[in-house]
Amino acid sequence: MFKLFELSFMKHGAYCLALIGVLLGCVGCAEQDEFQHDQVGNFEALWTIIDEHYSFFDYKQVDWQQVHNRYRALVANDMTDRELFDVCGDMLKELRDGHTNLIASHDVSRYWIWEQWPVNYDERLIDEHYLNFDYKMASGIKYQILPQNFGYMYYGSFSSSIGEGNLDLILSYLSTADGLIIDVRNNGGGLLTNVETLVSRFIDGRTLAGYIRHKTGPGHNDLSDPYPYYFEPTRNHLHYLKPVVVLANRGSFSATNNFVSIMKGLGQVTVVGDTTGGGCGLPFTSELPNGWRVRFSSCPIMDPQGRLTEFGVAPDVRVDLDPDDRTHDALLDTAIRLLTAATAQ
Amino acid sequence: MLLLTALSAAGQQAQTVLMVDAGYASVHDSYLTPITYDGLDLGLSIEATRWTRFAPERWLWQLSVGADYNYVENPAQNNDLHKLMGDIAFGMQRAWMGVMHPRLGLSVGPMAQVRAGIVYDAVNSNNPVTVRAHANLGATGMAWFGTHLWRLPVTLRYQLQLPVAGVFFAPEYDESYYEIYLGNHKHLAHLGWWGNRLDMTHYLGADLHLGKTTLRLGYRTRMEHWTVSHLHVHDVTHAVVLGVSL
Repeated sequence: MFKLFELSFMKHGAYCLALIGVLLGCVGCAEQDEFQHDQVGNFEALWTIIDEHYSFFDYKQVDWQQVHNRYRALVANDMTDRELFDVCGDMLKELRDGHTNLIASHDVSRYWIWEQWPVNYDERLIDEHYLNFDYKMASGIKYQILPQNFGYMYYGSFSSSIGEGNLDLILSYLSTADGLIIDVRNNGGGLLTNVETLVSRFIDGRTLAGYIRHKTGPGHNDLSDPYPYYFEPTRNHLHYLKPVVVLANRGSFSATNNFVSIMKGLGQVTVVGDTTGGGCGLPFTSELPNGWRVRFSSCPIMDPQGRLTEFGVAPDVRVDLDPDDRTHDALLDTAIRLLTAATAQ
Repeated sequence: MLLLTALSAAGQQAQTVLMVDAGYASVHDSYLTPITYDGLDLGLSIEATRWTRFAPERWLWQLSVGADYNYVENPAQNNDLHKLMGDIAFGMQRAWMGVMHPRLGLSVGPMAQVRAGIVYDAVNSNNPVTVRAHANLGATGMAWFGTHLWRLPVTLRYQLQLPVAGVFFAPEYDESYYEIYLGNHKHLAHLGWWGNRLDMTHYLGADLHLGKTTLRLGYRTRMEHWTVSHLHVHDVTHAVVLGVSL
């Protein structure tokens, strides 16, 4: 009996060893992208990362294979890192995407098209001629009540986290104003959670904020169904439901673009200024074998109407700053005029 | 380690060992980067082994609780990842003593394991972290051999832990954790089996019995591999194990 067991055990033990061997073999077959650590290998890695992860090829009508063919011809293993970087940076500019950057120790490639548009914002002009250098600051928000009894908030970066308590104090201070101007010009974006924090003070019910998608695979059209997402009014905190004007310019990018797209859909809000800078793809980051990082738009976020705002959100009232007038902000003046009209009704 | 030969002779029924692992780690997580990072593996764990009350010297149970940390760097040496995991595993094993050799013991049985943690890349934008979590059922088995090193009783042991099937968490290919935060929880839980997921842990070592105290010296390698939603994870550690009985 014992010998039978012994033989059986040995036989099964052999099977077990064979099984472990097969499993170890499977582990060895792990599917990974392997690129050569030379200039051509790094170029191919960059092109492949974008090819498999970028989400706006069809929307922007970019033939990425054709782009590869053109730029691959410019790459050779004997070129310097700076030369390779310039070629790769130029290739990424074909995407016309402010969220797409190649980041190396010596440089950051970028497509910041807003640098070429009218600025439409002059901080000094506002400080001097509208605020008289007298304003409050909290959570990265500059605020004051203007002589016309309208509140003014300037939020320069959605990377500056907004404390709920700070926001209560700001809105409490501005609560006596008849209307509010939220200035997000030159706000290059930041955390989307700060968008939710701020928007939640200007809604009185569950509000559709937009839709979000993500890549589900390496194919250009491997995208998930749009997922609707909603914001709720912040509980037990102050809300501001009087007329609001949002001031935007081409420098209102990324999370700010998202903020404007949501605020524009609210009944009491008017957007004044220029089209925003766009940037509706939530960026992811990856890297090349040589250690360079690449950031790219990965998850498209749409406005409440289901539209992509990659190229910006148009204002309700289009106004440009007069560069020759160093005492008046035409956008702010328009906001005051609109609020005056709204509160007179 | 349950020193079935030595302990049984000594009338002991249980053993608890505190262990420190230190060695090499390799981490590949395509959600964070297509590049494989490697570096340091550190671990701390407690392993308790007992004969069961209902069938001593035939059935044993083993409980291990631990945490491990990997600090790994990319080949370009300009970025690092931090991986922190915790796990708990429980197994019941049928033991056979004196199989093929009077001092050889073998055991095998089912095990359950829960392992969870995060991998963090500080410089990534909206994919700076990924959560790892899985719960598995599988098998574990040991072979041990009692011998002497000069006059010092020593037990040599090999153990394999091999999860077979379970569930594990993974976002979709480029799904952001922000979208998950917004409430989209579809396709996050996956059934894991050897077709898409393979974990295994091998341990080989020696327990040196110094009176009532046991010192442990060994080697442990852990492999974790899965592929789902076009994402690939392939992690390996090789570590020296030092332990002492409690």
